[in-house]
Amino acid sequence: MKAVTDPAALLLQRLLRLLRWRLWIQEKLQPTDWQITLLWAALAGFLGALVSLLFSVFAEGIHELLTGRNSGVVETMRQLPWWARVVVPAVGGLLAGLTLLFGKRLTRRESSTDYMEAIVIGSGRLPVRSSLVKSTAALFSIGSGGSIGREGPMVQLAAVVASLVGRWRKFTPPQLRLLVACGAAAGIASAYNAPIAGSFFVAEIILGTIAMESLGPLAVSAVVAALTVRVLTNAQQLYQVPAFKLGSPWEMGPYIVLGLIAGTLAPWFLRSLRRAEQWFVATTMPPIGRLVLGGLIVGTIAVFYPEVCGNGYSGVVGILNGRIVWFLLVAIMLAKWLATAASFGSGAPGGVFTPSLFMGASAGYLFGTAVHSFWPAGAADPQAFALVGMGAFLSAATYAPVMAVILLFEMTLSYDIILPLMLCNVIAYYTAKGVQGESLYSEALRRKAAETPAPALPMGNVQDLMKGDPPNVIATARFAEVARMFLSVRVNNIYVTGAESRFVGAVSLHDIKPFLGDPDLAGLVIASDIMREDFPRIGPRQSLSEALGAFLGQSFERLPVVEPESGRLIGSLSKSDLLLALVEKRQKTGA
Amino acid sequence: MHTDLFRGEAALTCGHVDVPTDLIAQPDVVMLDLVADSREAALRALHAELARSPAVTDAERFLRDMLERVMVASVCVAPDVALPHARTTAVERIVLGVARLAAPGVGFDGEHPSVRLMFMIGTPKEQVGAYLQLVAGISRLLRTEGARAGLLAAGTEAEFRARLARGAAT
Repeated sequence: MKAVTDPAALLLQRLLRLLRWRLWIQEKLQPTDWQITLLWAALAGFLGALVSLLFSVFAEGIHELLTGRNSGVVETMRQLPWWARVVVPAVGGLLAGLTLLFGKRLTRRESSTDYMEAIVIGSGRLPVRSSLVKSTAALFSIGSGGSIGREGPMVQLAAVVASLVGRWRKFTPPQLRLLVACGAAAGIASAYNAPIAGSFFVAEIILGTIAMESLGPLAVSAVVAALTVRVLTNAQQLYQVPAFKLGSPWEMGPYIVLGLIAGTLAPWFLRSLRRAEQWFVATTMPPIGRLVLGGLIVGTIAVFYPEVCGNGYSGVVGILNGRIVWFLLVAIMLAKWLATAASFGSGAPGGVFTPSLFMGASAGYLFGTAVHSFWPAGAADPQAFALVGMGAFLSAATYAPVMAVILLFEMTLSYDIILPLMLCNVIAYYTAKGVQGESLYSEALRRKAAETPAPALPMGNVQDLMKGDPPNVIATARFAEVARMFLSVRVNNIYVTGAESRFVGAVSLHDIKPFLGDPDLAGLVIASDIMREDFPRIGPRQSLSEALGAFLGQSFERLPVVEPESGRLIGSLSKSDLLLALVEKRQKTGA
Repeated sequence: MHTDLFRGEAALTCGHVDVPTDLIAQPDVVMLDLVADSREAALRALHAELARSPAVTDAERFLRDMLERVMVASVCVAPDVALPHARTTAVERIVLGVARLAAPGVGFDGEHPSVRLMFMIGTPKEQVGAYLQLVAGISRLLRTEGARAGLLAAGTEAEFRARLARGAAT
């Protein structure tokens, strides 16, 4: 046999060899679309953790810039003279307001979509500039000591990065929504160093399902995010607490009552925040004025109770470790409630997730102390009640009892308290549902959904889900070109088109792979020689159920979408996209 | 040439792995020293013989499909060898006709001005794997040292068939 010396032939041989190896690896590893999704979820988790960390660093930088100190928010406020406690949050409000005002010019054409909307009622596309403007404004609110949580902007930024990745890869709406959800899970996991809760937060609160199609990617994203944070910051559990345990079964009685209290208080808390918002709007002040006023209110309260500043983290640590006496806590709790209402109501960008934890811890501790003083065996350790109260309050505020149990466990690593925690959370959840029909998030979402003229969901037919420009070759394309196409895109079938882009068939990798090593075929055989003309296809206006029917009994991962009138190939439909959309659709319709 | 990596899968893909090899060894038609003054005349002459096979159910359609294919892209694998072929509904099974053209041969296109050997193939549409296997088998045979020269030098049809069989077996 003659040795091949022609450079073009050598290149071709190398190409075919490469393709054979790629196929061998593909066959051995068999990555499905779902597995590929997991890889993207991992990337979303990694990037989400990075932006969350970056946000924290900036928030601390702004805090230092405004106060000249680099200790915690509460500690700094304690050290500042009284007038500075008033001025700093007001200046923070002013800067946040100015950021939003000038940011409007940059974001005039963008929507104000947040990550929850993008996942639940949107297409998964998050506006980058308006998210950055909001997050910058949040930096001023948070850095100046506003009574607001930083987890909101962190989650938003993580979701924006995921959305950008998905858009760059031209994901379909269901895939994009799932990737944004993964970003949000990564944001929560990074903020609280709680990967399981991060996954369940999104699954339970936003997606409303714990189906493995969505929970798997969420878990991967959250785990990668938590790992990234741990490696880069040496983070441990968020709250270092003593070991709590159930003193006696009799304690379950007071815990049940605590569930009822938290389930009643949480809706009141949420309602008060909305009232505060309405009150600020009713003042007819411009947004910037409201933010300054909100800062002034927080600052004035901080003159007497500096613990109200920040998200409440240090307060919770103090309560769980028994460093705050009960009568002082009563005052701090009321002051914090008022301060959070002022910050939230004035429009300060940020979250109320962590402030909710503070309210729950305070309520639990005060109730536990009260029970303990009358009946020591009923509440052996009031701090344990604080811990359970946190979970119960969160459960009642978010309507996500499973997430609340897991988050509390992950944040404290205190497993022995799990029995009262579970019971209390469930009771608080049902109590809150009885008191008020909507959670911390559902009301805002419902409002946004009503404002959205044409929600992206539900997916109606194939064209809503199809991806344009599928890998295709013309009927006269040489075998070598077909092989090259298989090498450049990870598909099992390449579509073949005739005149005017008419779909005429598909070349199956399965058919040609035994012959990839044959250089003679490379120049002789053309696509139409080896295509399957009876390859199934689907029309753009066919329903998703019909599309599912077309996939049944077939091993294809994708189907070509062909215009019935012209026979033109206009896109392809992925089986995983279809299944994801059907899961979403079933969830939306409550079927 | 097939690699060991995929050899087993080739058998699975085609379902009847021996058919192409047997066919090369025993083609439906062999024509020696065919005289033709053009590519189309040569194709029509070999087709006319091959169309007598009971496996060809629609001779006209087979000819049309094959001529269309020849027009679309080159079917030559060597300067003097052509493999005119068509995947068509006009045959019930793969059919193969081999012709040796009288010297100096006929021109198929600018790059192949004197084709001496023609392997005409008709394949049912659904037999993609078998078709590729047959084409690959013929290409392999022609790459074998001395095989092409032997086919060109064979004195009789029996000798020609024997050389084909020997080539297919290697």
